[in-house]
Amino acid sequence: MIFLFGPLWSGKRAAAREILHCDDAELARRAVWDVQELARARADLETLAEELADKDVVIATEVGGGIVPVDAAERTARERAGRLNCLLAERADTVVRVFCGIPMVIKGELP
Amino acid sequence: MLTLVVGGAGSGKSAYAEHLIERSDAARRVYLATMEPFGFEARQRIEKHRAMRENKGFVTVERFTDLSGLTLPPDSAVLLEDMGNLCANELFSPHGAGENAAEAILRGVACLHAQCRELVIVSNEVFTGGTDYLGESEAYLSLLSYVNRKIAKTAERVCEVSGGIATDYKGEET
Repeated sequence: MIFLFGPLWSGKRAAAREILHCDDAELARRAVWDVQELARARADLETLAEELADKDVVIATEVGGGIVPVDAAERTARERAGRLNCLLAERADTVVRVFCGIPMVIKGELP
Repeated sequence: MLTLVVGGAGSGKSAYAEHLIERSDAARRVYLATMEPFGFEARQRIEKHRAMRENKGFVTVERFTDLSGLTLPPDSAVLLEDMGNLCANELFSPHGAGENAAEAILRGVACLHAQCRELVIVSNEVFTGGTDYLGESEAYLSLLSYVNRKIAKTAERVCEVSGGIATDYKGEET
């Protein structure tokens, strides 16, 4: 599994298409994105990470970088999204962080 | 050796910082906690970090302000967690240095650095959530970013942790 993450609109899906040499339709079959939203609702992040790891590519938007929100539920959601990223990165063969459309491999190598 | 470890919420920065301390061959491991245990969430957070450190041989020292007044055991590896809380304490707490927060913090860091074998400072990436801040928030962000930059200058290594993986901006894991 390739775990690909980065800030909002940083070009993550475009990078994923390039890595897989595929179009949007194929990406939709082989990848899952916005997994930070799943972290918010699911009780067990380990199980969630296990399930997601079945995909070829898992894509997350990083949401833990701004000033800490006043709202407790938002604070928890950010923390959980970050934790899920750690769990996915552990399971991934390759981890790619995308910044300004540029993919940086921070674990393993691209297939 | 001074290492600055920066990361956002849930980035895995604490676990990575602990890993660095565990790798050190210093005689003692000191966890320097800066978070004041006010409120349920703070206590929960403290408990979570305590559980993470269990059986890793850390001595916990709580210090919320004035690091320069602290004496550490000789030959120790120190994990300071975290700079975001220390900045808030120095800036806003009645015991804090207030407008002299930056000098107080940097003096404290220099003092720790001189005393211990290994110093790992965990700091917070809180600067990418917009620019529209006012008053106290702006003063806080400005302080933390200034302190981060100053420490990064002195540090042998500066890395950002995300997804539990460290990316180096200066130096590297030795």
